[in-house]
Amino acid sequence: MNTGKLAFPMPLPAGVGTPSAPGGLEGQTSQEKPVRISVRRSRVDGCSTKDPAMFKTEELQINIGPQHPSTHGVFRMLVTVDGETIIDLKPVFGYLHRNHEQIAEQNTYLQNMPYTDRLDYFNSMANNQAYAMAVEKLAGIEVPERAEYIRVLMVELTRILNHAGALGFLINDMGMWQTQLAFGMREREKILDLFEMASGARMMCNYFRFGGVVRDLPPEFMPKLKELLVAMPAFVDELERLLRENEILMQRAEGIGILPKELALAYSVTGPVLRGSGVPYDIRKAEPYSVYDRFDFDVPVGSVGDVYDRFLVRIEEMRQSKRIIEQIVEQLPDARGGHINPRARQNVRPPVGDAYARIESPKGELGFYLVSDGSPRPYRYKVRAPSFINLTPLGDMCRGYKVADVVVILGSIDIVMGEVDR
Amino acid sequence: MYDIVNGLINTTFGWNWPGWVIALISHLLVTTLLFAIAPFQMLFLTYYERRAIARMQDRIGPNRVGPAGLLQPIADGVKMFTKEDIVPAAADRWVHFLAPCVVVAPTMLMFAVLPWGPGMVPVDLNVGLLFFFAISSISAVGLLMAGLASSNKFALLGAMRAVAQMVSYEIPAVLSLLAVVMLTGTLSIVQLIEAQAGLFISSADVPGVPDLGLGWFIFTPVGLLAFIVFFIAALAEGERTPFDIPEADSEIVAGYMTEYSGMKFGLFYLAQYVLNFLLCAIAAVIFFGGWQGPGVGWLYDRAISPANPDGNWVFNLLAGFLGVFYLLAKTYAFFFVMVWLRGAFPRLRVDQLMDFGWKFLIPLTLVNIVSAAIWVALLRWGPEQGITFTQNWTPILRWGVAFAVTLAVNIVAYIALARIFAASQAEQGRIDLDEYRDTLTATLR
Amino acid sequence: MTVKIERGQIVTVERGKRTARRLPGMGLLDGMAVVWKHWAGSFRKNQGFNDIHGVFTYEYPEERPKLPEAYRNMPILLYDDETSHELCTSCFQCERICPPQVIHMTQAKDPATGKPVPAVAEFVIEYDACMSCGFCAEVCPFDAIKMDHEFELSTADHQKLTVFKEQLNRPISYYERIAPTMWAEVRDGAMKKLQGNIKRRPDVIGMAPNLAEKIAARRRELEAAAAAATAPAAPAAAPAEGRKLTPEEKAAKLAAIKAANAAKKAGDTVEPPVAPAGAAPADEKAARLAAIRAKNAARKGEAPDAPPVVAGEPAGEAPPADEKAARLAAIRAKNAARKAAEGSDGAPVEANVAATEPAAAPPAAGAATSAAEAATAPADEKAARLAAIRAKNAARKAAGGGSDAAAPTTTGNVDSGGPGASDDAALS
Repeated sequence: MNTGKLAFPMPLPAGVGTPSAPGGLEGQTSQEKPVRISVRRSRVDGCSTKDPAMFKTEELQINIGPQHPSTHGVFRMLVTVDGETIIDLKPVFGYLHRNHEQIAEQNTYLQNMPYTDRLDYFNSMANNQAYAMAVEKLAGIEVPERAEYIRVLMVELTRILNHAGALGFLINDMGMWQTQLAFGMREREKILDLFEMASGARMMCNYFRFGGVVRDLPPEFMPKLKELLVAMPAFVDELERLLRENEILMQRAEGIGILPKELALAYSVTGPVLRGSGVPYDIRKAEPYSVYDRFDFDVPVGSVGDVYDRFLVRIEEMRQSKRIIEQIVEQLPDARGGHINPRARQNVRPPVGDAYARIESPKGELGFYLVSDGSPRPYRYKVRAPSFINLTPLGDMCRGYKVADVVVILGSIDIVMGEVDR
Repeated sequence: MYDIVNGLINTTFGWNWPGWVIALISHLLVTTLLFAIAPFQMLFLTYYERRAIARMQDRIGPNRVGPAGLLQPIADGVKMFTKEDIVPAAADRWVHFLAPCVVVAPTMLMFAVLPWGPGMVPVDLNVGLLFFFAISSISAVGLLMAGLASSNKFALLGAMRAVAQMVSYEIPAVLSLLAVVMLTGTLSIVQLIEAQAGLFISSADVPGVPDLGLGWFIFTPVGLLAFIVFFIAALAEGERTPFDIPEADSEIVAGYMTEYSGMKFGLFYLAQYVLNFLLCAIAAVIFFGGWQGPGVGWLYDRAISPANPDGNWVFNLLAGFLGVFYLLAKTYAFFFVMVWLRGAFPRLRVDQLMDFGWKFLIPLTLVNIVSAAIWVALLRWGPEQGITFTQNWTPILRWGVAFAVTLAVNIVAYIALARIFAASQAEQGRIDLDEYRDTLTATLR
Repeated sequence: MTVKIERGQIVTVERGKRTARRLPGMGLLDGMAVVWKHWAGSFRKNQGFNDIHGVFTYEYPEERPKLPEAYRNMPILLYDDETSHELCTSCFQCERICPPQVIHMTQAKDPATGKPVPAVAEFVIEYDACMSCGFCAEVCPFDAIKMDHEFELSTADHQKLTVFKEQLNRPISYYERIAPTMWAEVRDGAMKKLQGNIKRRPDVIGMAPNLAEKIAARRRELEAAAAAATAPAAPAAAPAEGRKLTPEEKAAKLAAIKAANAAKKAGDTVEPPVAPAGAAPADEKAARLAAIRAKNAARKGEAPDAPPVVAGEPAGEAPPADEKAARLAAIRAKNAARKAAEGSDGAPVEANVAATEPAAAPPAAGAATSAAEAATAPADEKAARLAAIRAKNAARKAAGGGSDAAAPTTTGNVDSGGPGASDDAALS
């Protein structure tokens, strides 16, 4: 790793946990404190530390879900517990399966755009971008510069609102009666107001078209956005003050749900969960798409890979997204009407071939794989959904912890069942 | 109440009824009054909590039913009454039915020893404090019954958590009160309140302090620490955040209440809020002087009381109103703090809760008892008890020295214990991250 | 640890307490302070996007947020306030694009002729399955379907969520109110297209069905005019009657319609009224209508019906010089030609004649010539060209549908089938 630019597949920096001096880098690495982290010993044994000869305990199987307040949708965890300690956990999903990919293969390319909104209904803009990029790659459609900026702006706003909501839900799962959730939702509502202004809908935006976005930003958009940029740092700082050093939160989050980076890579986990485990893999840096190579921003990574790291990484990502948005506000080309490529046909009929486009969605790598047989409908349509893949190591992350930790770990992964089950 | 009824019937009207009739009448009156007050408190507290926490979350809260939403709890109650009462097929019907009653009854009994104002105590037991906490523990039985009878795993988990928590936190709560009992030498709640007259310094400690009803125990280091511990324990007793583990909605749905619906659920709710009210009230009574406050003592001196049988009943009324006002104001302020904590803190995990109770609170209360002993020794004891060096000190000097010494002891104890506790929490089960990682990846392969 | 990478760095987030506060419990107090600040600040309203304190609740039924113009909820159909004509022409674009396939429509047909008219007969949207994507509004070439701002759609009756045209119709003024700039962008084009479509809508077809009184008024108008036109049964009286009404264009037009209808309905007896009605008012609209009727008549009756069409011919020539009328006449002529060709399966001879020799084929070619003549007169390039194209198309259609004899004529472009008249028109 002696080039500044990260290549893909990303070579791991030589041990995030141990300080190293990568040669050829002009940056220096600050001396890092050794990570001191408490982990329940029972975590390793797989069950409680009690001498099994002394107490003959009975294992209990509990279904957490599909109807449960904190499973973020219809998601079931088949938990085997000994007292309160998790011995085994099996995630069961599929309750929200609605045949997304098959429907998409019956629709024309454009008709799929609103369906992608419904995948991860928190991040419809990011879904739109990934899909639009896939079709543009397939059909060879150019995107004007202003449209690219608008797209990146929308996706970064999406990232902020997703993290604001995700942290709120995480804290809500920890039992803090919706206070942080309400604060996060307040900021989210403002961003949704902006989305509504631009696209006409708050959540199911359906804003992107092949070759651009459906309509240009309305004139009242930019002033509001600038106002929002004033509030955003205050919101993030307040979140940190409220929770970052809160002893209870640290007790609940530190050392809980550790996902070592080897394991994370083995499960092909992406997004803040992977970065929380200490792997600096961000598609925006590793394979800059759209206009991301024009912005300065950092990639926050964690060091331990527990709930607390994921929490902190999300906070930092909100700051970085805000940085990107500020740069967009400066650089946005003032070409009104440049929001869409006028020659781009919406009822595309791409040539025979296939294309895979991926973006760094707020939850991880979101990819769309399309195969065209020359007809106006995709022959094959595949979604690489980050929520789904990030959910797979849940059993390994939970084993040995308490029942109460399960919901926190699940909350820290930040899933949306609409995307998991598709 | 007995005095007033007695005065009214035997003195004013001159009917000369026997004492037991008057006692019966007065107790019936009081009981009726309290049974009317208890559900009202629950209704008001739910509304109060919802409004307060809504404000903390930048919302408005219920404001649709009635003026400013005041009738919202009534609407909720009506809804609860009209709900179908569902008993799971696999449930133990009778235990399932009895559990809410077993939970509610003790909370109602706890009203018996709560003084509302000067001379306004249903029963002035000489072991009132003991009675209060002894009775409150009974509801744990009801919770366990509910959890077991529901034959639901979440309910069982919740009941287990509830009982473990209740049992664990009785100890710091009682031990913290023990310090206060040591200061006053009585278990009677009425006498505890009366000992809190004065102005910053209790007139029981230093004679001659002007009585403004502000000599609360909270102003002593012993009382302060005892209050902190007691309040934390009360949060756990009342299942409030951050100790609402037995009914942690995000983990075990509703805990032991999961399989309850309709008015049975309402009874659990009632018991919980009444218990919260009582815990806040008892905290106000023991550490913040209960009905004590500026003016109450002066008014009560002129009212009908055992000490002053020919007072004026108007002063009874005035002192009563003022006393009840002070008590409720303090109680609701504490409840506001409970709501505030609920809005600000996440929930602890059950093992952390146990650790916190047993490893931090109980040692702290033990240190506090030592402080209380020092306080008593410096202020009350004389040569008879073998303490000779204080006999020439003025009372105020004695008080000052006691204050300084106990404050120092308590602060040092708090910091030291907190550090030790934090270190032990961190140290407990600590393993090397790399080792852990290797183990995990090895088990996976 | 930080590692520099291109345009940024990799930052390891700092864990735990940043400040050196060693007193346990300070983090908890910090949190309480934040919550207190919010509580204390909650007695005022949130000031806007740059404010993170204060109540931000909208007390919904009383207090409504201002919806942005682009807001989209459910599709509605627009109709023109003045003419009460719907903008929709049932082009089926929205039905095709709709991802959940919840839009259904049928095209209106002229009740008299059974020919499709650019208007919608019934339009159904299943609101319960609509996903509010807004594609229908985006693709609509006539700006007839737009997205509403109304979101309070809850109902206890599921059937009500299958919405028919009566409930879908909204006046343009309504849409202009909720989305002024978005309507301003498209207004001119939409209105122009609407004017064009109105002309192709006979009778009351295409009028918003929920405006019952307007339709009734129009029907009454129509009937009155018809009565006025048909009352003088004698051929001589008709012109006089017609002249009486000439000051009012509408009346004349209506007379023409009625006359044409009558002509079409019953063969010879009504012949006389046609001619006067057509000839009397020097009105372009009447002329156009006469042309339509003539065409219709031509299609209905075959060779024997020639006279009425001949009667129509002067009507086509009579109008002073209106390019629109000319164009429309041309369209009609074309249609007529095509129809005639289709009908000529039974009578191939006629089709042949129609395709090759204008003079020999009075129904189609006659109309075509008249159109061409009318087109030449105004020296309007566009109209002329259009007329020519229409005529040509008509001829080709007639040829294709009709018989093999027409085949050679279709190969040519301008000079094909639709006689030299169209050639002239194109040149002019």
